[in-house]
Amino acid sequence: MALLSVNDLTMRFGGLVANDRIGFDVEEGAIFAVIGPNGAGKTTLFNAISGALTPTSGEVRFDGQIITGRPQHAVAGAGLVRTYQLVQLFADLSVRDNVAVGFHRVSRGGVFAALFRPGWARAQEAHVAEKTRDLLEFVGLSGVADMPAGKLPYGQQRLLEVARALAAEPRLLLLDEPAAGLNTQETAALADVIERINGRGVTVLLVEHDMSLVMKVARRIVVIDFGRKIAEGSPAEIKVHPDVLAAYLGGTEAVADDGAEPAHA
Amino acid sequence: MISRVSTSTDRPWRALLPVAVVLGVMAFGLTSSGYVVTVIGFAAIYGIFCTGLNFFMGYTGQASFGQNAFAALGGYGTAILCGNHYWDPLAAFLVSMVFAGLVAYLVGLPTLKLRGHYLAMATFALGLITYEISIEWNGLTQGYMGISGIPPLGVWKFELANEKQMLVALTLLMLLGVWISVRLRDSRFGRALRAIAGSEPAARALGIDVARYKLAAFVIAALYASAAGSLFAHFVGFISPEVFGAAMVIQSFTMLFLGGIGTTWGPIVGAIMVLMLPEFLRGLKELQDVVYSMALIALLIFAPKGLAGLGSLFARRPKAPVPTPSGAPARAIAK
Amino acid sequence: MPDAVQFIQSLVNGVGVGLIYGLVGIGFCVIYNASGIVNFAQGVFVMLGGMACEVLLRKFHLPLPIAFLIAVPFVALVGLLMEVLVVRPMWNRGSPLFAIILATLATQIMIERITILTVDEQPHTFQEFTLGGPLKIGAIAIPYQLFWIVGCGALMVGLLWLFFTRTRAGRALRACSQNREAAALLGIPVGAMLLLSFALSAALGAVAGILVTPMQAIAFNSGTPFGVSGFIAAIIGGFGNAAGALAGGILLGVLQAVAIVLLGAGFKNVAALTALLFVLFLFPSGLFAGLKPKAH
Repeated sequence: MALLSVNDLTMRFGGLVANDRIGFDVEEGAIFAVIGPNGAGKTTLFNAISGALTPTSGEVRFDGQIITGRPQHAVAGAGLVRTYQLVQLFADLSVRDNVAVGFHRVSRGGVFAALFRPGWARAQEAHVAEKTRDLLEFVGLSGVADMPAGKLPYGQQRLLEVARALAAEPRLLLLDEPAAGLNTQETAALADVIERINGRGVTVLLVEHDMSLVMKVARRIVVIDFGRKIAEGSPAEIKVHPDVLAAYLGGTEAVADDGAEPAHA
Repeated sequence: MISRVSTSTDRPWRALLPVAVVLGVMAFGLTSSGYVVTVIGFAAIYGIFCTGLNFFMGYTGQASFGQNAFAALGGYGTAILCGNHYWDPLAAFLVSMVFAGLVAYLVGLPTLKLRGHYLAMATFALGLITYEISIEWNGLTQGYMGISGIPPLGVWKFELANEKQMLVALTLLMLLGVWISVRLRDSRFGRALRAIAGSEPAARALGIDVARYKLAAFVIAALYASAAGSLFAHFVGFISPEVFGAAMVIQSFTMLFLGGIGTTWGPIVGAIMVLMLPEFLRGLKELQDVVYSMALIALLIFAPKGLAGLGSLFARRPKAPVPTPSGAPARAIAK
Repeated sequence: MPDAVQFIQSLVNGVGVGLIYGLVGIGFCVIYNASGIVNFAQGVFVMLGGMACEVLLRKFHLPLPIAFLIAVPFVALVGLLMEVLVVRPMWNRGSPLFAIILATLATQIMIERITILTVDEQPHTFQEFTLGGPLKIGAIAIPYQLFWIVGCGALMVGLLWLFFTRTRAGRALRACSQNREAAALLGIPVGAMLLLSFALSAALGAVAGILVTPMQAIAFNSGTPFGVSGFIAAIIGGFGNAAGALAGGILLGVLQAVAIVLLGAGFKNVAALTALLFVLFLFPSGLFAGLKPKAH
């Protein structure tokens, strides 16, 4: 059974159909990408999957459970954790604390535990601190652990957001245009991190604009244009798919295999 | 918008400075007499109130202009139960707190769904409603006259005989309040609150039930406010609607912004400063509230992080790891 | 149970005070449209208008029209000062919304305390504009002042309408409310418009205060209930819509008058505030949604 399955998902805003009966399955362990030209409806689809929007019709199943219409924190609670296209860090908190917050989903304890600190709560805090160190190591931010997150350069903020999402031990990590605003080196570093995340057993779904990243990391790709799914397949298949070429060439973008950037027109 | 929580481990003397100031002032109170003791007692009470306010505003990043409502519940609860019904002070104190917490919970459910101006106006209205009721419900509150003859703080047969004993008790309670706030802040619970202050969408995406945590912070702030109201009633022996009026809101915000919002000791230091200043400037007694208002406006304009924020201007910056020039989110597109 | 006469009488009274709320509500809208700020000190302009006029009448024995002509510009000047000294510095620094609200609240407390120091703590009132009355229709009494309120209210709304549609400044102010950035690009001095909106709004509040003082005595702290009621009127009217605010004010005034009949005069403010909370809870983000407040 697929980990995530999107069935006939339609999202309508007044007269505008942003997503039109989109369906695909993401298998456990995959690196899956949704691509499409600007305005194709990628971000809307992403928000509908992550629970930020409730689709007009259709359903999203996660691990067999229908998650459409659930509040976003509940969707996250089920193990589907997202990042944001415009990085959403806790700017005044230290890098370390940002990651520690990420453990919210997989830890427990409220006011009582905070006040009286029973043994299990102290053990949990120690565990969180240790895992936080590991994760910062993993994305290469150990050196800046005490900096306020808002002071980091943009590329590092992006990595921090990924580390924070990983802290929540997602079964499916949703990345919303993770390469947006990154330069070539930063994108390459990100690709490396995504592959290593996947190596840890986390399924990754990314919605992306940057072809170099997608072609490098994704095993399977869905292409949408004008709100409809026009193709699905491996990177090699997508590269030569006539509808995809038409969609991208018809627009201002080009599919390239050597990491060349699509023009932001 | 607000810098929170300087790590207390890296520079211990900086964390200890406010503690030393606070304890020094309390010790000074014990060696003095009369009016100074009263003023320092007020500082401890307001410090408790502001610590609660700081929880909701400083850590959780929310705004409430109506915390005076919960102080009034505590104050009137104690006054009515102890003054009119001869309850044990501790029992009245706790019952008032539970009641204030319950009201905060029920009122907070719909109120905290509001945003921006609506949230501000709705919370402000809570304070006004309580104020109006305390004036108009004569049978219970004795209206403008207020309630007098409230016994001093005590437990069972043991009553705190004089002001100095009272001051010791208030100081200990204040320290307990601060200790609790630190415990709560440095925990999974507190991290979730600070996350909400940073970015609600991100907190949600990490599985934090934002509405629930906001409500929890609101209730905690109300518990502190109620405690402060009860202590005020015992300390002064008299309360009236004006004690918990809109001026209290302005005064407590002045304290919070002066001492530094979002810091551990800021609320206490702010309370001490705001209450002590008029004592040194006796001529200004008449103008007290005018001065508070002007000071608050000036702080909001020129030093929104309070004196703690000004302090960080002089602090050494942490060693920054060579940031790339693209520190700002420049939408760099690879060539 | 109150009888029909009492009810009709309360409706009459409610319309009068409701028009005042409506004028205050329009004052809220004028500033909100120009700046995206809700001025929590709006009610203090009402108090200042009534108080200044009363002092001019009592201490300086000026005739009412002269007192009116001095009091209104005086309050408008206070509004200008508030904009220059409090709101503008925060605006320029990009202060968070709640800090600006807090600053306007602090301004209100400051003005109230200064009023205590310069005048006193007592409620003040002065004679109705036209002596005699009330006009009796059967058992129902209509005070002459009510006609002044209706007349002046209508005149103010008419003048405002002319201002916003027929003058350059008015049209510029409306452009700001549509889109401040675009207005700035078109060369409209947005800063000056903010200044104008505070003066205009303060003047509106002052007129409302002078009109209402003969019917309800004004004390230093009378501003808050008027401010809150004006805010409710503005919300009911859909914030930004002058006619709506006026209608909302009348609705609220009537509701309040009925509440007085049923609950007694003491709890009228509690009733109004509770109504406010219910309106807010029922439209948790709704009525502002059409307009775009400056996101902080």
